[in-house]
Amino acid sequence: MINLHYRKHEDHQVSTIRRKEFPSSAIKVNSLRKKYGRLNSLNGISFEVFPNEIFGFLGPNGAGKTTTIKCITTLTKPTGGSIQVFGIDAISDPDRVRQNIGYVPQSLSLVGELSGYENLLMYSKLYGVPKEHRNENIFRILELLGISEKADYQVRNYSGGMMRRLEIGTALVHNPPLIILDEPTIGLDPQGRRMVWEILRRLVHKLGTTIFMTTHDMLEADQLCDRLAIINSGKIAAIDTPINLKRNVVGVSSEGRGTVGGDVITLKIPTDSRSSAISIIGRELGSKAEIVDDLSLRIILKDVDSLFSKLLSILIKAGIRLDSIDVQKPTLDDVFLQYAGTRIQEAESQTMESWKSIRNVRRTFRQMG
Amino acid sequence: MSEERLDKWDRELNRSSGISTDRNNTPVSALIRTLGKTVNICELELRKIRRDYTDLLIRAIQPILWLTIFGTAFTHISQNSIPSLAIAINGGLNGISYLEYIAPGILAQSVLFISIFTGISMIWERDLGQLDRLLCSPVPRTAIVLGKSFTGGLRGLIQAAIIFVVAVVMQISINFNPLYLIGVAAIVFTFGIGFSSLSIAISTIIKSRERIFGLVQLLTMPLFFASNALYPTQLMPEWLQIISFINPMSYAVDALRILMITGNFGRLLTDVVALAISTTVFIFFATMAFRRIER
Repeated sequence: MINLHYRKHEDHQVSTIRRKEFPSSAIKVNSLRKKYGRLNSLNGISFEVFPNEIFGFLGPNGAGKTTTIKCITTLTKPTGGSIQVFGIDAISDPDRVRQNIGYVPQSLSLVGELSGYENLLMYSKLYGVPKEHRNENIFRILELLGISEKADYQVRNYSGGMMRRLEIGTALVHNPPLIILDEPTIGLDPQGRRMVWEILRRLVHKLGTTIFMTTHDMLEADQLCDRLAIINSGKIAAIDTPINLKRNVVGVSSEGRGTVGGDVITLKIPTDSRSSAISIIGRELGSKAEIVDDLSLRIILKDVDSLFSKLLSILIKAGIRLDSIDVQKPTLDDVFLQYAGTRIQEAESQTMESWKSIRNVRRTFRQMG
Repeated sequence: MSEERLDKWDRELNRSSGISTDRNNTPVSALIRTLGKTVNICELELRKIRRDYTDLLIRAIQPILWLTIFGTAFTHISQNSIPSLAIAINGGLNGISYLEYIAPGILAQSVLFISIFTGISMIWERDLGQLDRLLCSPVPRTAIVLGKSFTGGLRGLIQAAIIFVVAVVMQISINFNPLYLIGVAAIVFTFGIGFSSLSIAISTIIKSRERIFGLVQLLTMPLFFASNALYPTQLMPEWLQIISFINPMSYAVDALRILMITGNFGRLLTDVVALAISTTVFIFFATMAFRRIER
């Protein structure tokens, strides 16, 4: 298996090799609206995806994630607004957009009767990959996916993780500059998820590919995506890097874990030195320490990383005994709660339901033959 | 090792990649592209059949049962108890048995059933997301319709081959002149394409799996029974004769009966023209419906 260790974009010089002649944006969506009957699925969303980044779409079920994907992949015509993919108008010129995108739907779209190689071969032919490159290209993709040894097995005998990777592989046959994925790691175990991430990162870093994906997985959004858009009820609530989104959390979560605009530090200090600690912290750091219970104090700091050593040193200098210290940074879960009004867990369980129903369809399909 | 190889590939690929702005859209090149992709879609479907042909074999059982049970029983009954049927068949058509009379009808029926299934399987593919993959690829919509319909025709040919074998085993005397056989193949293929297209048009409009099964039942029953597959139309009441007259199935059965059994060429040209027209119309319907799919 290939082992790749890529870091994220923030601490990574954007790959030196880049695709030729990129326009300044990979996807540019402007006040996109979509109505299904009377139901407003998208209420005028606007965002831009830059070339060579991984852009994540995060939102609860029914927020409009899949509708957005359907509009960009030219599967449905929006009610209003504009979409440009590499400067090509997706509404007036869908055919040219189709040549430049690879789409990985949430459901399993592979042909179960055929082998992995045959699936890639047929997509190569349908995408018009020239005959002389076809086989080499397929072997490259099989190697990338780590399923070279299973290439000749029927896909219906693959594990879930292998199916998902092959699913991505079939979207790569024409080496598209933009890949659009709907929940690419849903239903995968942590190892399978990590393998998908490595494939996607490799595409971005080595081939200059742009990735647009939806996810409900906080860890995935945090670790994989360069930028995130949080979508709720057909509107975009926030767009930023995961770090900036977390920095700007203002709400307090129900567990008291979340924060008011910063990181929560909980100190365990003996009761007798508590009042002196409160006054020192107030004087030196300019922030108010609250009493949580008999043993603990809570401080909220905007940026704990830069103040952490100072906090320790002033407490030690004052001779205050520290029994323990606990730092809680805001998570994307808190960000999500703030903008979407619901916890990820709840949204996730709904998504898992729909995944189950897809599985059922699949099972019935097999039984039907 | 594999890491190095991948890196090398990636570098090569990167050098050659960019944004595709292929705009070669003259009518001729568009036609060639559509036909090419039609062949690709056919290949995909045929590969599926090659890997899993149980479906085709199971589907061959029903026509075999029609011939062996219904055919045998009704041959006996018509000879002994329904003189008008026996006369209509024997008197009008130089002494062929009832089994020989319905063999082409059963063949057409099995092709009809397997073609109608093309649309149903497309609803499955839509639910599974396979259709979305095709729809957001550069494959022309027309090529998807044609590819699926042609595969329906090819599946019909496989059915025909199986039924021919069964007919030989049952000692039904079939004309094995190669020219006639080619004619049978052409009729089966055209008929299969036509009804595959019709089913694609219906399933594109209906979309739901629950409704399509009922609707297909509703469609195949009158197509089969209000045709000349099982009995001569002149024995039907007049209103049924009218339905039979506009039923494309009647023309397919008649053509097959001429080529396989009777050899009376009188109406063959009418049959072929009627079949060609109906198939063209169905392909047109399917393409129009499919082009508007969700866009």
